[in-house]
Amino acid sequence: MKKLAFLFFLTIGILISLPNQSLAAENLQKKIDSLEGGAVLRLENKTYEGNITINKPVEIIGQKGTVIKGDRTGNVISVRSPNVKIRNLTVMNSSLDRNSPEEYAAIKVYTNHNLIDGVTIKHSFHGIYLSQAHHNTIKNCHITGLGKGQIANQGNGLHIYYANDNVLKNNVVQATRDGMFFDYANGNSIINNKISDTRYGLHYMYSDLNSFEDNTFTFNTGGAAIMNSNDIDLKNNKFIFNYGYKSFGLLLLQAQNTAIEDNTFFLNQRGLYLDQATNSSIKGNKIMKNQIGIELWASSNEQVFSLNDIEENIIPVATLGGEGRNSWSDKGKGNYWGNSFPVLDLNQDGIGDEPVAYQSSLYELIEDQELTYLFLKSPATQIYEKLNQFFHQDKRMFEDPHPLVKKEEMNFGWFGWLVAGMILFVILIKGRQWICITFGRNGRKI
Amino acid sequence: MHYVWKEWKENLKGKGLWLSFAIIVLVSISLLVRSSSLSIDKGFYVLLINLFDAFVYFIPILCLFLGAFALFQEKEQKTLIMLLTRRDSFPSFLFKKSIAVQSVLLGPMILWFFLYVIPLKFFYQIEWSAYGFYLLSVICLVLVFTQIGIFVGSISRTRMQIVGFTIAIWFYFFFLHDFILLSFLPDVSYENVKLFSSLYFLNPLQAARMFLESSLGVYSFEHMSKLLQSFMWMKPGLFLLGNVILLVLLSFVCGAAFHRKEGSE
Repeated sequence: MKKLAFLFFLTIGILISLPNQSLAAENLQKKIDSLEGGAVLRLENKTYEGNITINKPVEIIGQKGTVIKGDRTGNVISVRSPNVKIRNLTVMNSSLDRNSPEEYAAIKVYTNHNLIDGVTIKHSFHGIYLSQAHHNTIKNCHITGLGKGQIANQGNGLHIYYANDNVLKNNVVQATRDGMFFDYANGNSIINNKISDTRYGLHYMYSDLNSFEDNTFTFNTGGAAIMNSNDIDLKNNKFIFNYGYKSFGLLLLQAQNTAIEDNTFFLNQRGLYLDQATNSSIKGNKIMKNQIGIELWASSNEQVFSLNDIEENIIPVATLGGEGRNSWSDKGKGNYWGNSFPVLDLNQDGIGDEPVAYQSSLYELIEDQELTYLFLKSPATQIYEKLNQFFHQDKRMFEDPHPLVKKEEMNFGWFGWLVAGMILFVILIKGRQWICITFGRNGRKI
Repeated sequence: MHYVWKEWKENLKGKGLWLSFAIIVLVSISLLVRSSSLSIDKGFYVLLINLFDAFVYFIPILCLFLGAFALFQEKEQKTLIMLLTRRDSFPSFLFKKSIAVQSVLLGPMILWFFLYVIPLKFFYQIEWSAYGFYLLSVICLVLVFTQIGIFVGSISRTRMQIVGFTIAIWFYFFFLHDFILLSFLPDVSYENVKLFSSLYFLNPLQAARMFLESSLGVYSFEHMSKLLQSFMWMKPGLFLLGNVILLVLLSFVCGAAFHRKEGSE
């Protein structure tokens, strides 16, 4: 009897101590439902069970250890009221189901004028999903996906669908399918986000009049892919190390009137990749150390390249599929092409006296055989180019009528001065005799 | 061990090892200084890739010369005859000599790259696995080209022959191998892509680069076309391993089979 009683109380004890998921979810949902419009709900430093729906304009503030954990059946937080503010918490475990009628997210916003600030998201299909939601601000959020190898099994970090005039600021997105995906979304501002290890850092479909500033795209299969979209502004963004097979820093595909200014394209497989793009203005960018600086397909026309710093790329420009109608200078100012294109500037006006042209024969191989990209880093490509130049089997890739000339300044840096100082020191202490023997009096000892 | 010690003492006296070592040290420090000015994320990976790209220019030719002259010296100083008249056969001598030369070249280099971590820590957050992959790819290059160098030293009669062979081999791997493959590139199809890829990865420079870039995660093979999938029919690490084993063994066997005992100035 005693044993039975002990077992009974033990079972009751265990049942009581176990967290009741639906009850916990209900508790948080009830708390939210019981709030007045405009109220502030401060969550404790603990894990709350989701899923929840916010139907009132309230502010939810978490702490460092506040977690809202979904039950993996849907969206963890659904925002269905305007003017909701969510701050400082972690959201996880949305449904990962790909066969459901809707795509789920950690936070799905259906309304306007909301703020999501300082939210960490993990183990979810999409991170934050704006569905026909306008004038929202998403900032300081950290979204981590399932990993680079899980492209098909997961969604995007920030998914913006039929949503206009939103601000996405200071977010970090890692290892999701696409970092930010825009579908029919216009007039959004995307500022100072860091996106890495995704398929496309930024993926743009049918979205116009958006602006990007100070974002960094690293280690993605493609930095940013702007497709079927017009009037996009890209300023001061960094596209770095998007380096995989046929990767790119920025792809413009069927994009019109794109302004690309003061961006950095560094160490990408292809810095800029333009296909069926028209009327882009590409000014003041640094396009450096890419395997192909600019890959320009003949279907792209009316691009203007001016004041860009295009240097140390293995192939500066590859024009494929024929020559399009593009300008390599604007208002008498072309681009700077680095030391591999020596330019004379006798009148010292900063503009070369002769045009700069680049001939290449690799374009045919690149057009016809995708494996050519595997050879771009090989020194053999230089021999291939020279040999084909000799036999006149190359084609002009570009001609810049007004190449820029930089005033070279001798800048050794501290390391250069250190090495020079050490050499001088060694010579003074040890090497005087040796130098005299070598160079003095025809090699005779003095 | 006796051979290693002898090799070490000989190299300490010579200039070759010190010159090579100085080049490696200077290049790695200067690249670190240059990369440190890049205020970008993941600069550590940029540095590793830049280091490898720079060493591709130095390591093959240095290792070829050092390996070749290390063996030729035995002929020149008549120590080879002395060693062989005792009880060693030439393959046995070549094996011990190879181990000695490899360890004398690899030892200081590995030591340097461990010391190199100290300044690295001031600039970057070090990922040890990435650094290990980098080190492994450089070690593979040293192994292969030193062994080929030993082969050159083994078959050469004069120093001029060594210079000629070494430059020819360096030129082949650096330029000619890929150039030949580039010429055949338009004819590559699904049917022959595996053969083409085997030939591509026969170049240790390409095999090591592909291994390094894929291991660091900077070169992804996701969303490959069918042709590229067939091209990458093994993992890059296996291609590199196969390449190292094949070239080291081939160099050793050829070095043993076609060796010349006599050598002159």
